[in-house]
Amino acid sequence: MRKLLGGFTGIVLVALYAPIVVMIVFSFNESKYSVKWTGFTLDWYRMLAHDDKIHKDLWNTLKISSVSTVLATLLGTMAAMAARNTFRGKRLYQTLVALPVMVPDIVLGMSLYALFRFLGIPRSLVTAVIAHTTFNLAYVAVVVSARLQGLDRSIELAAQDLGAPPLWAFWKVTLPAILPGVVSGAVLAFTLSFDDFVITYFTTGPGNGTLPMRIYSLVRFAVTPEINALSTVILAASLVLIAAALKFSRVPVAGGGR
Amino acid sequence: MKGRFLSLLLPPTAWLVAFLVVPTMVLAGSAFSADGMRALAHAGTWVLFWRSFWIAVVSTAVCLAASYPVAYFIAGCSTKWRNLLLFLVVLPFWTNLLVRTYALKFCLDPIGWSDTSAVIFAIVQNFLPFMILPLYASIEKLPPRLLEASQDLGASPARTFWKVTVPLTMPGIAAGSILVFIPVLGVFALPEFINERTVLIGSQINLYYGQGDTGAGSALTLVLMIFTILLTWIYSRFRKSEGLV
Repeated sequence: MRKLLGGFTGIVLVALYAPIVVMIVFSFNESKYSVKWTGFTLDWYRMLAHDDKIHKDLWNTLKISSVSTVLATLLGTMAAMAARNTFRGKRLYQTLVALPVMVPDIVLGMSLYALFRFLGIPRSLVTAVIAHTTFNLAYVAVVVSARLQGLDRSIELAAQDLGAPPLWAFWKVTLPAILPGVVSGAVLAFTLSFDDFVITYFTTGPGNGTLPMRIYSLVRFAVTPEINALSTVILAASLVLIAAALKFSRVPVAGGGR
Repeated sequence: MKGRFLSLLLPPTAWLVAFLVVPTMVLAGSAFSADGMRALAHAGTWVLFWRSFWIAVVSTAVCLAASYPVAYFIAGCSTKWRNLLLFLVVLPFWTNLLVRTYALKFCLDPIGWSDTSAVIFAIVQNFLPFMILPLYASIEKLPPRLLEASQDLGASPARTFWKVTVPLTMPGIAAGSILVFIPVLGVFALPEFINERTVLIGSQINLYYGQGDTGAGSALTLVLMIFTILLTWIYSRFRKSEGLV
């Protein structure tokens, strides 16, 4: 029975990984049109490296991800800290914070689009950052909140009793204790932001596209080895981020993602 | 103390009100327009909702059937293998969904598999980790004593599975199902990659959005949102919630 289960698990893992491996391998394939292997080349990567549009997309992606990560980490940590207190309307508050995680991406994207349109705000990198901060805030809050649950509040109170001003107590006692949670929340936020397509699609301005948006428009046009190369690069970037998350915070990878 | 609490509470709350609550209200306002009402009165819209619903149901069921043996196997491994396998299962979903879907398309197109069943396969492949993790978490907590007791009392392995294991892992089954079902219901871009003709509600919203018909797009989005919130609410009735989620 265990052998059968193990074999099945193997098949599932192959189904998860085989397409990715095939895609990576074919990003080094010479032929532009054929799915047959004709020879090794780095041409597609060279083309990417010299493609100004891709550079601009990468730059936009990084701008949106980094700014929204900083904002979301600040706001999300605050949200999680505030949720430790008991207050009226706490359940409503918890629902509000978790809402962006609960609803499908397209709902948040379309709502923000409706808002910007209603207010007559032209979409730009700023509106994309606002959108990313909104969903990232929720993820950071959830991760930090999990970390805070394991924290003994009496230590903080002791620091304050001993005369530390609240901000100092936070800086010296609370923050070091929850830092792994804050860092993993930030890395998660950056990763989600870097990979996001749907919400960016609805909220960013013309000419402010990101790498995932480039993939979307390219794939709808035709399947080419350049897309394989670009996808491989994005994949590699994600892997670097995961490695960073594991190294800096020792979080179980099972902590988040979507 | 109170001042400090408020200074923590206000900024995130203000942000969420401005960019989550207000947008939802604007969305609702835009949905209750002539365009929005016309879209909702259109029978085709409900056909799409029905199709999205069914694809989500089937995908969730296939996901559950494929994940249960995997989660069960992982839970029975030694710690070392367990961590490795969990890592391997979770790793893909830290990577870009479009990239993963494109990779799948790249492999499926040449063999000519691109109908609705391919779309479901792609969905299952993408959302598998969401199902395996919660299942694993609840299978891992199963007290072995109960399984032994059931067998000692003469139940066959199949009977033990259906009468003991499955009921006890219901929280994992429910959590995994909701985590797969909700995003699949509003899935967008993934079906288009595999098969252009499998139009689901997400693609239709995108179509209206592309045509500049914000009223119709908002109406469909609002229905989708109400439906998912309702589902989450029903789900939360059945489980005790702690912390933020």
